[in-house]
Amino acid sequence: MAWRPLLVALTCAACFSGVANAADVKTLKMPKGEEVWYVSDHTLPMIAMSASIPAGSAYDPQGKFGLAAFAASLLDEGAGNLNSTAYQTALSNRAIRLTINPSRDYLTVSLVTLTDNAKDAFQLLGLALAHPRFDQDAVQRVRAQILSSLEEEDTDPPTVAAKGFYKAYFHDHPYGHSVNGDAASINAITQGDIRAFAAAHWVKGDIKIAVSGDVDAATLTQLLNSAFGRLPARAPAPPPWPGHVGQPGIQVIPMAVPQPTVIFGLPGLMRSDRDFIPAFVANYIIGGGGFSSRLTDEVRVKRGLTYDISTSLDSFRRAGFVAGEFATKQSSVNQAIGVVRSTLEEFAQNGPTDKELADAKTYLTGSFPMSFSSNVGIVSELNGFQQVGLPVDYIQKRNALIDAVTVADVKRAAKRIFNPRAMTIVIGGTPDGQRTARPPAIPGEARAAHR
Amino acid sequence: MAFSRACCFAAALIATAVPLPSHAQDAKIFQFALQNGMQVVVVPDHRAPVVTQMLWYRVGAVDDPPGLGGMAHFFEHMMFRGTPSVPGDQFAQTVARNGGQDNAFTTHDYTCFYEQIAKDRLKLVMSLDADRMANLDLSDSNVHTERDVVLEERRMRVDNDPQALLREQMEAALNLSHPYGRPVIGWSEEIHHIGRVEAQDFYQHHYAPNNVILVVAGDVTPQDVRAAAEEEYGKVAARPTALRAEFAQPPRLGETRMTIARDDVKVPLMLRIYRTVSYTEAKPGEAEALETLAQLMGGDATSALYRELVVRRRLASDAGAAYSGYARDSGEFDVYAVPRPGVRLDVLEHNVDQIMQAFVQAHPKTADLERAKTQLVADSIYRRDSQYSMASAYGQALAIGLTADDVTEWPERIRAVSGEAVQHVAAQDLIKREAVTGYLVPAGGQQ
Repeated sequence: MAWRPLLVALTCAACFSGVANAADVKTLKMPKGEEVWYVSDHTLPMIAMSASIPAGSAYDPQGKFGLAAFAASLLDEGAGNLNSTAYQTALSNRAIRLTINPSRDYLTVSLVTLTDNAKDAFQLLGLALAHPRFDQDAVQRVRAQILSSLEEEDTDPPTVAAKGFYKAYFHDHPYGHSVNGDAASINAITQGDIRAFAAAHWVKGDIKIAVSGDVDAATLTQLLNSAFGRLPARAPAPPPWPGHVGQPGIQVIPMAVPQPTVIFGLPGLMRSDRDFIPAFVANYIIGGGGFSSRLTDEVRVKRGLTYDISTSLDSFRRAGFVAGEFATKQSSVNQAIGVVRSTLEEFAQNGPTDKELADAKTYLTGSFPMSFSSNVGIVSELNGFQQVGLPVDYIQKRNALIDAVTVADVKRAAKRIFNPRAMTIVIGGTPDGQRTARPPAIPGEARAAHR
Repeated sequence: MAFSRACCFAAALIATAVPLPSHAQDAKIFQFALQNGMQVVVVPDHRAPVVTQMLWYRVGAVDDPPGLGGMAHFFEHMMFRGTPSVPGDQFAQTVARNGGQDNAFTTHDYTCFYEQIAKDRLKLVMSLDADRMANLDLSDSNVHTERDVVLEERRMRVDNDPQALLREQMEAALNLSHPYGRPVIGWSEEIHHIGRVEAQDFYQHHYAPNNVILVVAGDVTPQDVRAAAEEEYGKVAARPTALRAEFAQPPRLGETRMTIARDDVKVPLMLRIYRTVSYTEAKPGEAEALETLAQLMGGDATSALYRELVVRRRLASDAGAAYSGYARDSGEFDVYAVPRPGVRLDVLEHNVDQIMQAFVQAHPKTADLERAKTQLVADSIYRRDSQYSMASAYGQALAIGLTADDVTEWPERIRAVSGEAVQHVAAQDLIKREAVTGYLVPAGGQQ
């Protein structure tokens, strides 16, 4: 069969102009200053909402790590006159999907409901936030569930490595401990601690709300008032700035598994840094771009050392960092770390090629509208922008900011970030030879036994 | 005072399930076929200027050659390794450069490749998929490196995860001689035996347009899709593909039990897998009744297993049930429970059996039945929010031999499920001798 040349050369940044503004995002003025972004789309009889409250694990008191997540897990365990079973039945009867996701800065609450049940859905959430019961039997049940999942986490290499990484990178800063705490801290938390935490932190001062679906401004104002109107308007102070971050070198957390997970991290940039967008593009080229990334090419495609390797440029309210992750068999860990190191080093020294930058731009700008193809996708994307403090017009400006990035910009950002000597590396699992000997391929690093 | 509103509110809220709007059901879809036998389904969704294209090949792990378990999945990986005109990793690079995302997955029954991209790039991804359907370049070095990648994938998904190992062993025991008992990813020992020649042979026998269901969801019209598909896929000639073997699922004559004790287990687990009918084998309404039973028994925190074991009896930290009915041959019904510390697995299992027995002895309560059905029907509405989920629903159904009507009419069939039907399948379809019960325990434990 004869084949015409394929359209592989079809690329130009301008091709995507016109689709960048995929969604018409509006803002809503709320009386108490809650930040609300929303998209009205009446195609489907449903509404999705994502709300982020600054009540994440960074606010856990000393000795009570996991308190924010513990309280969050009790959000659907009874409120007002509804005990746990009654509350969950009320949600289930209406097919209201309430999901609760505690992270370091924020407690994110997501709601998906049919339009016909929207009033009940937002009221039920309002009841849970303003009048949680925290009944003793629910507290004990959820405590048992958290303890069970903590035990399971101890046998999961990616989770073990991630916990080790946050500790090694952030030390004693509130970002350093696990969101879910540990067995001792969970056992130390009382019903009173949970009540006090919710009273202090489930407030609407810095709340960020994104909504998409079958709703107009007037109805949405009422719905949001029923969900958040009764919360105190104050805002807690953000977590402190971290001082010294990182712990260059390799830490091994031994585990009896055939495939250790390796997490490596470096200081990144704050969202407000003028090099943030170039760094975002740099991260795509090195490890954020799936099969297009240099790390995937070097570690997976060329050498078959892993199924998945990726990096992300993470933004917390008080820290920016790059974290990368891969898993490989015990005998390949040292080789793979060496490949990662040399790939980063080369990139930091020489920056991207013209073609890499052009390809990164067309991907990053061209794929942006895909985040706006569903109600659930829209609220997740918008709430993510809100969490890092971006203004709503960022959505319109984003693609132009990316298109303006030059090779020199990316090279400068890459040099600031991808310094392999500064890498904090944590391994969940036991690489061959790692326990007794320093890996010969990686000179100049200290190892520390963990736990 | 603050709670007085909540009180009235509560009475209204827990009373009963809320009927769903019927207008929510109209998702218009279009179907046609190309001259080379490729089936096409179009699911318009004009909310955003993007499309999702999925190619569902009627080949999966049941078609793995003897001794080469994991071949279908391995081959899915090879489809990204290049052709003469799109060499190396240029497939993924080209999709990404055009703002698109792509991936693929393999099950026992089918292999699916998909891309999501701006709507004006639909023809581009069609040309790429048509190219790799006919012109794949299988070289030795590609095969060997990709085999290592798949072995790493197996370590990640299975060998590192005791729960996955338990399920893999239980599936092998459940299925007697049917290839549903072989893991889709393959046993490591057999993955090692896959080479270039075997891969080439597999490609020859299974990858042809007449073995594909194309689903396009998104901001397109059926006319656009037909024109583009005829131009791009129409030029790939139909070829005879290998007949798929019809494997028997002979009756099991005795229940199977197993206990796996390992050092890497900290939290014990009890899992039971029943072999059941699938949607393709079921009598009218039977699979829908099993779906409803699973929801009632263990679908969410209001279900019988969770309420009894986790909330009331405090024996478990988690418990649930699920029905997997979308298969060419048999389906499966899972029941699981995670004990609280100090609770013996045999005690937990006895309680699970007791709770399941209640469904055999009586109809579910009307309020519970209505709630379960409301949840299931709502799933089909929420699914419409995602091009990927809609394209998957139709592609999967057609790939296993169901029709598009089976998908479209599913919510109505769920609404029609009666309490009698649920009781009937609880009694007739969940039979211990058709089940494997597995315990996962820490090594050296007393379970």
